[in-house]
Amino acid sequence: MIAMARDAEQARRRDRRAERATERAGPEPQAGDRDDDIVFELREVSVRLGQVEALSGVDLVVRSGERVAIIGPSGAGKTTLISLLNGTTAATRGEVRALGCPYGRASARHIRATQRRIGTIHQRFDVVAQLRTVHNVNAGRLGAWPFWKAALSLLLPRDVPRVREALAQVGIRDKLHERTGDLSGGEQQRVAIARVLVQQPEAILADEPVASLDPTRGLEIMKLLLDISAESETALLASLHDVDMALDKFERVVGLRDGRIVFDKRRENLHDDEVRALYAIEQPPGSA
Amino acid sequence: MTVSLRALDGVEETSAPAPAGRSGGSRRSRQRWLWALAAVAVTGASLVAAGVGERDVLRAEGIPAFVEFFRAAGAPRLDGEFLALTGTAALTTLAYAVLGTALSLVIGIVGGVLTSQTWWSLGRRARGKRGTVSWMLARTVLVVPRGIHEVVWGLIFLIVFGLDPIVAVLAIGIPFGAVTAKVFSELLDETARQPYSALLAGGASRSSAMIYGLLPPALSDLLSYGFYRFECAIRSAAVLGLVGAGGLGFQLSLSFQSLHYDEIWTLLYALIALSVAADFWSSRVRARRSARADGTQRTGRGADPVLVGSGVLGLALIVLSVWWIGLDLAVLWSGETWEHTRRLLGDAWPPSLAGDGLSGLVWLSAVTLAISILAMVIGFCGAALFAFPAANLPRGSYHTRRHVLSRAARLVLFAASRLVLVVLRAIPPPVWALLFLFVLYPGILPGALALGVYTVGVLGRLMAESAENLDVRPLRALRAHGASAAQVFCYGVVPAATPRFAAYGLYRWEVTIRETVVVGVVGAGGLGYALAQQLSGFDYGAALTTLATLILLTLAVDFISAAVRRTVR
Ligand SMILES: Nc1ncnc2c1ncn2[C@@H]1O[C@H](COP(=O)(O)OP(=O)(O)O)[C@@H](O)[C@H]1O
Ligand SMILES: [Mg+2]
Repeated sequence: MIAMARDAEQARRRDRRAERATERAGPEPQAGDRDDDIVFELREVSVRLGQVEALSGVDLVVRSGERVAIIGPSGAGKTTLISLLNGTTAATRGEVRALGCPYGRASARHIRATQRRIGTIHQRFDVVAQLRTVHNVNAGRLGAWPFWKAALSLLLPRDVPRVREALAQVGIRDKLHERTGDLSGGEQQRVAIARVLVQQPEAILADEPVASLDPTRGLEIMKLLLDISAESETALLASLHDVDMALDKFERVVGLRDGRIVFDKRRENLHDDEVRALYAIEQPPGSA
Repeated sequence: MTVSLRALDGVEETSAPAPAGRSGGSRRSRQRWLWALAAVAVTGASLVAAGVGERDVLRAEGIPAFVEFFRAAGAPRLDGEFLALTGTAALTTLAYAVLGTALSLVIGIVGGVLTSQTWWSLGRRARGKRGTVSWMLARTVLVVPRGIHEVVWGLIFLIVFGLDPIVAVLAIGIPFGAVTAKVFSELLDETARQPYSALLAGGASRSSAMIYGLLPPALSDLLSYGFYRFECAIRSAAVLGLVGAGGLGFQLSLSFQSLHYDEIWTLLYALIALSVAADFWSSRVRARRSARADGTQRTGRGADPVLVGSGVLGLALIVLSVWWIGLDLAVLWSGETWEHTRRLLGDAWPPSLAGDGLSGLVWLSAVTLAISILAMVIGFCGAALFAFPAANLPRGSYHTRRHVLSRAARLVLFAASRLVLVVLRAIPPPVWALLFLFVLYPGILPGALALGVYTVGVLGRLMAESAENLDVRPLRALRAHGASAAQVFCYGVVPAATPRFAAYGLYRWEVTIRETVVVGVVGAGGLGYALAQQLSGFDYGAALTTLATLILLTLAVDFISAAVRRTVR
């Protein structure tokens, strides 16, 4: 019963995506063109954390199926931006909308329903070392499951075929029953991605997903994320330390510095100087 | 917000005492002198209150019985019939302990989650004031069950349920659960929050995110703490038997009434065997856990057989215990229970004063305080005396290479002191109290002695362990300068050990003031004795007043102890 309903749901979503894809084949959509495929929308957003203005006056629109890289030096506000988009940080000023939900005004229930449709991957994996892999993957379904089912699943894992499928997709099919803490860093990050996969989100946020991996592992993981995004036409918004990777793999690059968006361009329009300026050491005040 | 919440919880500092910083050092040392003076003064006052040197405290006619009791240690009653009875009673006590611990774990997990800052402070939007208020409310709710001793719970539940196995289970489970909840909430707050908040960010509900993201890392620590509580629960279950809940304690009280010392010893040996077995099991599990945590032992894939086996055994024990004592939860909502509860509450409110009024209450409080103080003086001095012989001090630190004979003597001394400590803490305080009541008139002294010798057993072990963990480098340095073993002891070991010992002693004082009830119930005096009398005389209004006074007294002692510990550190 449940499986059938799920299949139907998947089919419906596939159709929607196909529609969007044909649409996009035409000229590039302009802002304000069509609103129903906007995934994230930030208007004049500022965030103050303690004494620090972590973000100020940020405008950003991300449409479904887009792949966006966010680059910028440490402390630029990348993590803050991502936590703003998944509703874990509140904007001090301005409006944040995700999948049509205005976080600032929506009810708690509406916010949760929205968060369920957004998958987040963190630099430090945030998987639970003590749990077996199958549970860490299933944790992606917690938003959809009632509490009793979540609790029962810890004893008798539910929906194992689906977990197996997700693990196969990220290339660690045989680790289903391993303790997650015993896996390598790269494998743990794959578990985190598998968790997002079973969540079937409509947007994926990734906060420096490869920063704690070696370059080769990092590249593999990045490719995996891009493939997933391309395959399911899910929007992907990733903050990256590695500028080359961003320019190499993402069609749209957003440069962030001191909480402000310095540029927001398609990669072919981006100039080397702009990137260098983004990371330049600040001139001492008064020297200009 | 985190900081402000933490600051509210300034009562419990478990960290090892560190030497005082340079700033405020002289003020600290002056305060320490003041506290020491105060300790001497209150000890003197307690002795006066106990009537030492004034009244006749010794009952000469009881001395033969006292001697005879200890002589019977070598000749317990071992015929088949009594052994069967002892076995049955031991299983009952074990079952109470198992079920009480299980209940305390359930209360501990739920209460721990509800009293953790993580639960209230993290979530959708800033929860702000509402979260803080709920958090403080949850904390406050748990203070009362924690402040009431198991035995008092037992007496109350006896009124409500009559003689029913549920009495012992609830009497152990509720106060232990409240303590476990406090410990567990601290464990949860120390656990990394990222996985939990990541799940919340994915739209999971708080409770689902909790069981996936926060409980699994904290759970193993909680279970090892649960095993430690299980050791304590066995002792509590036995003591509860003394007030009528059945099991070893009940048989002990029967044998005491008929003065069958050989039977008493059989029962005590059974209790000691149970405690040692529980102790062994729990230390095995905890050693295993810490080895895993350190990573000193890679278990590779799969779970540790000892841990899994313990879990399975624990579950089996729970099921068997329910069957053995015939636990029937229906009694919880039977009409009779409601009727009794209603009557109890109706009679208890408004609280009233017993016959001798306020001055009587103040006097009883003073007596209780004196019992706890004298018990601590006895306990502290005895424990400090036994700690070093009973400690397995690191080689080459302050031992010299000695003659074989002197090493053998040292070994004998070591074994003997350990044995004495085991026996002292294996005999529950009320049994000690009944023994001392042979030779002493009821009042402060028998209670203080009973709690005191028991405390020697408990504190002696703690102090021995802490002496084993002393930093040996300064001791080696002293030796290298040519100091003799005695000099190393006086200049190296004693100064390093004193602050820790003092801290342990103060912690123990907080436990001892609660335990005064236990010796009071069997007739040693103080608020505990009054409470038991009022409850058995159906004077519930006065009992409520006594209980409230007792809780206030324990809170006051906690406060003083925390204040002194701050200057000792
Ligand atoms: N909880 C916080 N409280 C106060 N300041 C914070 C907090 N978190 C981040 N900041 C500050 O906000 C700015 C942006 O941080 P962040 O978004 O983590 O940057 P990035 O991820 O780009 O390194 C930094 O200056 C940082 O110091
Ligand atoms: Mg960051």
